[in-house]
Amino acid sequence: MKVAHPLLRGLWFLSVLLAAGSAQAVPSYARQTGQNCVACHAGGQFPELTPYGRMFKLTGYTIGQRTMPLSTMGVLNANKVKLNDPAEGKLQDGSLIFNTASLFIAGKISDNIGGFAQITYNNYDAQNSDSGKWTGHTGADNMDFRYADRLIDAKRDLIYGVTLHNNPTVQDVWMSAPAWGPATVPGSTGTGAALLPILADGLGQQVGGIGAYAYWNKTLYAELTGYRTGNGIFSFMTQGVNNDHGPQTILKGVNPYWRLALTREWGAHNAMIGLSGLDVKVYPDPTDLSTPTDHYRDVGLDAQYQYLLDPHTLTAQVSYIHEKQNLEANLAASNPADTIDSLRAKISYVYHAKYGASLSYFDVHGSTNNNPDSATRGWTPEIFWNPAQYVRVGLQYTQFNRVNGLSSDTDGAGRSTRDDNSLLLYVWGAF
Amino acid sequence: MKTATIALILAIAAIGTGCSTTNERSRNLADPSVSGKTLALQVCSNCHGIDGNSVNPTFPKLAGQPVEYFLVEMKEFRNHHRADPAGFEYMWGLSRSLTDRQLDELASYYAQQRPIEDQPAEPQRVSAGKIIFDQGVPVKNIPPCMACHGAEGAGNGKFPRIAGQHADYLVKQLTVFKRTDERPEGALMETIAHDLTPDNIEDVSAFLSGHSPK
Repeated sequence: MKVAHPLLRGLWFLSVLLAAGSAQAVPSYARQTGQNCVACHAGGQFPELTPYGRMFKLTGYTIGQRTMPLSTMGVLNANKVKLNDPAEGKLQDGSLIFNTASLFIAGKISDNIGGFAQITYNNYDAQNSDSGKWTGHTGADNMDFRYADRLIDAKRDLIYGVTLHNNPTVQDVWMSAPAWGPATVPGSTGTGAALLPILADGLGQQVGGIGAYAYWNKTLYAELTGYRTGNGIFSFMTQGVNNDHGPQTILKGVNPYWRLALTREWGAHNAMIGLSGLDVKVYPDPTDLSTPTDHYRDVGLDAQYQYLLDPHTLTAQVSYIHEKQNLEANLAASNPADTIDSLRAKISYVYHAKYGASLSYFDVHGSTNNNPDSATRGWTPEIFWNPAQYVRVGLQYTQFNRVNGLSSDTDGAGRSTRDDNSLLLYVWGAF
Repeated sequence: MKTATIALILAIAAIGTGCSTTNERSRNLADPSVSGKTLALQVCSNCHGIDGNSVNPTFPKLAGQPVEYFLVEMKEFRNHHRADPAGFEYMWGLSRSLTDRQLDELASYYAQQRPIEDQPAEPQRVSAGKIIFDQGVPVKNIPPCMACHGAEGAGNGKFPRIAGQHADYLVKQLTVFKRTDERPEGALMETIAHDLTPDNIEDVSAFLSGHSPK
């Protein structure tokens, strides 16, 4: 079937999603447990997890019965930047485009082992500098494989396990973790062009990590993970990612990440407060490993709150990360010793797992001598609708109050912060 | 590189097939050899609590439920007859492959747990709810709850324990009985709940949630 017009293509895509749903085609975890999406996703707003969804993940995706472990996901969107860059074409001019599609191989393997592996086709992966034409590409996306066991009786409850994954914090079960929130909708504007701490950006699908974790009495979570370059034995988790985007990030040795979280449930409420840290050494030139390395030390404080009682779902997350950079090895860095502070927060409400709204705030800035200064600050309100449990349609507006560290004339040629504001319409489905 | 990747995949497969824990810690809902108690601890406890006293009112307390009632409900989920939203969203799938033996063991496990009531609710509602529980609503020919659920609401045979149950769960289920045919096993309750006002439902649920049989 050949449908030329992007809008018609979009409608066709939506109809396929809906038709697939009526045929009871649901993602593989739902098939495995036989439950609806709301069992694991708060108010149905995937990927945010309920307490049960968190336990499902921590016990290694092993609850239920083995089924066909395949699912797919697709995203259609239209993104309009107020003063768009013509060179970015359809990514900024409001055209409805088929953005990404993913294949998931996800599910229970044995009583103790399960996994989540996402492979994504990005329809707008790279742009030909001469013709301006975009080309698509397929590569590894988030992956997390686990071995988990649970020692539980009337007096104790201890979940412990091992995780193998390819993106720092993708293994986390709280949405305040950088890999999951708050800009989880594919195509989201997020924090714009801000330079984020390395814990929040930059190492996804570049590294391989093996971690050990334990969750005691649904109260205390602790994890220690080591990351190394995603090559060799880990290369299956980084395949295709660097195709058009330069060489792979190369880390020196094994780099530690740690995580502690305190959790509590009472009535329909549950909350978490956590700490995390990453200490990583990166070669400034991935093609020359004879040089010293740049050193990034991140410490994060995060918290999450949920109220889950049908028909209401209220969730709030906040994450603050402080990064110390020592870029002595990077001769191009004008300021070898630098810092980045990232504050991101989100609150959302969903009614009857169908109608929802959220508001996010972001403030990312570096130390005063940061050069170039990419500091941004702004808000992202959003409304969304789940016409069916596996489809979400949303409208997201991102308003910038600060861009490139400035609140006016952000490019030195008269561009205002408002010119970066963007409106994103999306249709996001999984089946 | 490729050899190493293949070796890793083979190692994971070997661990997956050969190094699993015993059935005593399985979360496999389609393995008839896993005991009901194991499933209660490894799976059901995530929502209903280790001892059947759930924290979130979305999920009913199962501690102290009569064996007969528990079995009726689980079989209603398994055969998709009980169709209230919370029931089919959470329970149809989880119950689909459980055997009668596993259900018996689950029923026995929860019947032996000690129920814990919620904190007392608003005194006015509790007083009004106690009257409905003890005396019904005579002007509407609504019988007292105690007539079937026991003098203290502790349940009896196919009639569930309602003492100490979450008020929110009771309100929602009484509303399901009042407005829908989604629980055919509770047809008797449809007649009773039909004439209960929303206030009646709130009152009796408030009384029951904090009530502990002596």
